[in-house]
Amino acid sequence: MNERQISAKRYALVVILLTLLLVAAVFVSFGIGRYKITPATLLEAVWAKFAEKVNPLLTKLFHLRIVAPEVNVSVNAIVWNSRFPRVIMACLVGCCLSGAGASYQGVFQNPMASPDILGASSGAGMGASLAILLQLGAKMTMVFAFVASIGAIALVMLVSRAARGSRVLRIILAGIMVSSLCNAVTSFIKLIADPNNILPAITFWMMGSLAKTRASSLGFTMLPMAAGIIPLILIRWRINLLTLSDDEAKTMGVNVPRVRLTVIVCATLVTAAAVSVSGLIGWVGLVVPHLCRKLVGSNYKRLLPVSLIGGAVFMLLVDDVSRNLLRTEIPIGILTAVIGAPFFLWLITRKSEVV
Amino acid sequence: MITVSNLTFSYGEQNVLEDVSFRADAGELLCVLGPNGVGKSTLFRCILGLESKYRGTIVCAGEDTRKIPADKLARMIAYVPQSHSPSFNYSVFDMVLMGTTAHVGGFASPGKAQTELAEKALETVGIAHLAYRGYQRISGGERQLTLVARSLAQQARLIIMDEPTANLDYGNGLRVLKQVKDLAASGLAVIQSTHNPDHAFLFADRVLALKDGAVAAEGKPVGTVTEELIESLYGIKSRVREFDGQHRVYPLL
Repeated sequence: MNERQISAKRYALVVILLTLLLVAAVFVSFGIGRYKITPATLLEAVWAKFAEKVNPLLTKLFHLRIVAPEVNVSVNAIVWNSRFPRVIMACLVGCCLSGAGASYQGVFQNPMASPDILGASSGAGMGASLAILLQLGAKMTMVFAFVASIGAIALVMLVSRAARGSRVLRIILAGIMVSSLCNAVTSFIKLIADPNNILPAITFWMMGSLAKTRASSLGFTMLPMAAGIIPLILIRWRINLLTLSDDEAKTMGVNVPRVRLTVIVCATLVTAAAVSVSGLIGWVGLVVPHLCRKLVGSNYKRLLPVSLIGGAVFMLLVDDVSRNLLRTEIPIGILTAVIGAPFFLWLITRKSEVV
Repeated sequence: MITVSNLTFSYGEQNVLEDVSFRADAGELLCVLGPNGVGKSTLFRCILGLESKYRGTIVCAGEDTRKIPADKLARMIAYVPQSHSPSFNYSVFDMVLMGTTAHVGGFASPGKAQTELAEKALETVGIAHLAYRGYQRISGGERQLTLVARSLAQQARLIIMDEPTANLDYGNGLRVLKQVKDLAASGLAVIQSTHNPDHAFLFADRVLALKDGAVAAEGKPVGTVTEELIESLYGIKSRVREFDGQHRVYPLL
């Protein structure tokens, strides 16, 4: 067996193990909480739901029906109304932030880039605080966050187009500028917000949490997430070439401006979709891709899929801690920072070790 | 292979290249000599399609390069930059595999055929044993050879090298150039810039000397690289002498 086969085997093994870990994490996440649900009960509930959906059709077509166990009403409610949306959302948000982080790191040729580098998070924060201030309700908060986030990035791209200098550098500078503008607006909104109910709501949103996830918000986020993740997966090989200099990539046949814009737009779309439902959850997009680089190397052909699965696993596990560690829930953004900041320190002190 | 005719390029008012004409054929290593800032890199950027606002024409395999789309041009002309250090530690193999990108669709990754090309390229330049080492961890000479292998995997018939030995020590530099010479002998066209006139005698089939953006001399190394040329290009007095059948430049300081 040569080294190429060994490295391919290693990749396959990592994908399989991470997938198994993801399945295990899903069972754990469904199971733990104030009300414990055993894997057997969970499978019963899933089977019952499946039967409930499929039986009308089966009866109509073949006069058959699947026999399903009776499931306790409260178990059913917990599984489907509370844990199911939350587990799925944690997976999606983790997937998105980690995938977007890995993509930004490639496009900006910078291992320290993260999904909020261009101000997607600050924009979302501004939109969300405005919606909360105007008391528009949870759904509009999400919409506002999403639109403001995309708007912030659009502004960044416009400004960077007009500016002079290296393309990558001016996008980042424009990002910093727009971020701080959005943060200023958010601060002003906080200043004028009612300190008894609105200010705490804004503050809580900023900390990031999956607690308010409803099944109805899943559909809203899944569409932009899919619209961003699928193209990223398709062009992932070319992200490798963006990590080299523009001239090099161009002489290897890559349309650099077009590929870079595609990656930025897609990564922004998924970041905006994620932060609009979860609030500001930092560090995931930095920590997970770096861990994945250690596992499978820098090649985006392998790195991106592994980062996506790894992000889902990471977010699920952190969310489990966030809802079970204390009697009251800890906002997940705080936990990811507690894990992420020391990791970052370790990263910069041992940079030569990171593959 | 490639014919450059009356190429003139200017940054603002100042002409960087003035009426440069030459050709390079398959199986030939053309060495471009000239002092710093004479326009060697600009000339290469024009040939590679990185600059398009020039007057004159560059014709490769019968087509004006300005009219050739980037991916097709990449299948005709490959670029070997000076060895660099990218932000991420790709394996040497992945680095070489990137050269095959112009041969796969926009949504695809290199497949089996490209993998074999990359492996063959690594063997050709003699660094197959480094394939799974990190590119950031190998020596400067090995990196340069990796980039040469990458240009081979790109399967272009013309390879452009911008001072491939600039960051290399004496031994590594000569080893890389030997490798490049063998590639030219195998039927590729190679255009290479260098600061060392001895390299022209050692490796080049023909020499193109640039001065103030214009062609100062062109032809076989012996007879083209003369004491007068060295003084005119670099302002250094020298003796060009033959020793053991090889010509060398002996600078007089």
